[in-house]
Amino acid sequence: MKSRTVGAAALGTAAILTLGACAGGGASASSSGEPSGDVRMIVPFSAGGGSDQSGRAIAAGLEEGTSLNISVENREGGSGAVGYSFFLGQEGNPNYLLASETALLALPLTQDVEFSYESFTPIMKLGDDYTLLVVPADSEWETCTDVVDAASSDRVVAAVSGATSLDEIVFTLVEDAEGVEFDRVPFESGSEVLAGLLGGQVDVASLNPSEVLGQLESGDLKALCAFSEERYEYEALADIPTAKEQGVDVSFAQFRGFIAPGGISDEAREYWIEAAQAFAETDAYDSYIEENVMQANAVYGDEFVEYLEGNSADLEKVFAE
Amino acid sequence: MIENLILGFQTAFTPENIFWCFIGVFAGTVIGLLPGLGSTTGVAILIPLTLTLEPVTALIMLAGIYYGAQYGGTITSVLISTPGEAASVVTTLDGYKMARNGRAGAALSISAIGSFIAAIISLALLMALAPPLANLALQFGPVENLAIMILGLVIVVSFAGGAFSRGLMMAALGLLISTVGVATGFSSARFTFGNVDLLSGIPFVEVMIGLFAVGEVLHQIRVGAAAPIRTKFRDLMITRSELKRSVGPILRGSGVGFILGILPGAGSTLASFMSYGIEKRVSKNRDQFGKGAIEGVAAPESANNAAANANFVPTLALGIPGGGTTAVLLGAFTIYGLQPGPLLFETQPTLIWGLLVSFFIGNVLLLVLNLPLAPVFGQMLRIPYGYLYPIILLTSFVGAYAVSNNFFSVLIVFVFGIIGWIMKEVDLPMAPLVLGLVLGPLFEKSLVQTSAIGQGSFLVLFEHPISVVILVFAALLAAGPSLTRRLVARRHAKQADRENDKTPVAH
Repeated sequence: MKSRTVGAAALGTAAILTLGACAGGGASASSSGEPSGDVRMIVPFSAGGGSDQSGRAIAAGLEEGTSLNISVENREGGSGAVGYSFFLGQEGNPNYLLASETALLALPLTQDVEFSYESFTPIMKLGDDYTLLVVPADSEWETCTDVVDAASSDRVVAAVSGATSLDEIVFTLVEDAEGVEFDRVPFESGSEVLAGLLGGQVDVASLNPSEVLGQLESGDLKALCAFSEERYEYEALADIPTAKEQGVDVSFAQFRGFIAPGGISDEAREYWIEAAQAFAETDAYDSYIEENVMQANAVYGDEFVEYLEGNSADLEKVFAE
Repeated sequence: MIENLILGFQTAFTPENIFWCFIGVFAGTVIGLLPGLGSTTGVAILIPLTLTLEPVTALIMLAGIYYGAQYGGTITSVLISTPGEAASVVTTLDGYKMARNGRAGAALSISAIGSFIAAIISLALLMALAPPLANLALQFGPVENLAIMILGLVIVVSFAGGAFSRGLMMAALGLLISTVGVATGFSSARFTFGNVDLLSGIPFVEVMIGLFAVGEVLHQIRVGAAAPIRTKFRDLMITRSELKRSVGPILRGSGVGFILGILPGAGSTLASFMSYGIEKRVSKNRDQFGKGAIEGVAAPESANNAAANANFVPTLALGIPGGGTTAVLLGAFTIYGLQPGPLLFETQPTLIWGLLVSFFIGNVLLLVLNLPLAPVFGQMLRIPYGYLYPIILLTSFVGAYAVSNNFFSVLIVFVFGIIGWIMKEVDLPMAPLVLGLVLGPLFEKSLVQTSAIGQGSFLVLFEHPISVVILVFAALLAAGPSLTRRLVARRHAKQADRENDKTPVAH
């Protein structure tokens, strides 16, 4: 009899723990007015990735400045399409946020999805993440021009981390600007690309500085150029010339930020913009930008919308082919 | 090396670090127990709670969750045929049968012992050889991975046992189901019928919960559940002969797990399936597999634990995560202001060696925690099924919802619960289906990549020496049974010939 109780108690505890695990994410759905109580931050990619890190940093930062309880929820799949589509269904609910990046613009241009950036309420762009063209340390190439020259006569194998990912966009822009062609091997994440590059399965990759900083420091990889407007100010990256300096006129930023559902009230929008501005003043914001080796260019509300308009037009050209 | 070990011991053996290590492995065991809540999600959820701790303490705890979950995932697999972790799916095959035979305690004990031995072996290798092993792992690119996937599919065959065609059919069904969604390198959706939830494919964990847990309950209800298993406490202990039988499987499982674990992308699920497949071929007791062979529990459980530890080889030595959970852990490094990468061993010796030594402490804690509890958990089966089944159904559906906070997951569990029940009724094996589903996306990814590398040709498979070796091994495995049969037949024929030869002489 005693052991029976022990068993039942153990299973019961398991059930309660499971219940607890999901009760933690319960968001109250008020249809208008300012957000209150529990808020959910949707991350349309899996736990541990760049979007996840930014979502968690934003959630923690916003939580500090408000009386809200913001929980992060990963809804990954379809290169972000699952999360954004779910978010579309939360129209008018000020208690939802989404950690957004370039997929917001790339998905509507390449996939049959029901949303565009106009379906949502953009709140804040935290900053810009550019990419570096990296090759293994023993590669014969020293500049991006070398790579372009090689691609005009020989086969150059480039790794890309997805059909609509930042590296795919950058390589397409280089191809358009220089009239060359890269052979692509598709991977599913930046770290897979990194393994492929270190293992010699591909020749070049275009990765975010935060993804390769460790390998650059150790000397396993070398960065040939940065696809950014200006050189990086970070000490470790300051010596890397921009592609433009080397005569390859390409720069493209991946933005990171967060958006609210479409159709929320003006008060709710103002509330989030103010909370975002307060977040940008905190140390947490600075350390997020630094940890991820980004360039801090925060814009809010209408300015963010303008940025998205311009960026979307650029992307349209890339994907038009 | 010795200096580093001493440094590691000094770091890990503080009351605070041992305490947090215990918290980690305990939380990991619980997280592993719960279907749906895997170690990746568990670690990601708990990172914010560790921000106030020292980085080394925080990482000790988070890593504890990861390998602790490997122990916990077994418990429900054995007791109620509901794998808590993907890597424990294959354990249900014989573990659950053992439980039905009243040997749940033994199954749980051997899984704890096997996991422990595997952990110690893989940790020793990890400490001694991480950097060279990591560089070796880098030689496994898409082409080599494709060869491994082909080998994996060949091993599936051995799951079917006698019913070869049924196993093949179910593996094919699993592959078919895995094609739903968006493929690597493309942006167009397949078989989603406009449903956004299907874009990421049919989720594996939910399928597993449906097939194994819900399917089993439905089946038992129809059969009319037997009386609860009544065994004496003494019978729940593991016997000496069972221990002896498990030595080989544990060692082989550890080896397979470690090798697959250091390769980024292959992972512990594949390792557990492969080691089971290998045991089924080499074991003296192979006829008992699927009926409650202790080897069928010892091998995969050792393999998944070895793989979990081996995952840290590329993670720590190269800064490339070996799997989902180690990816999240690497993310945590940056949050603590540490730069993951090849220099970690040099720049952060205290942290790395402290972390590695804590793995030993954590695994000892897990063994101490799990061994005495094994018979106690075994007693759980004395709960009348009238109470047990509703609890299983509740945890299954709630757990499925917890995976992605999405009702779609619950629907998948429901649908596959019914499919699982039908499969049981008509006696179709489930494990090949699950393995097909696991291997499908990995297989397709390396197929697309290999084709890109070979510019549309798969002949590159034969240009890379490593992939050639793997393919030859796969070919031998595939041809093995019929080859041996033919050799035996030839020997018989020769003997017959010789006798025939003799006859004329006699004439």
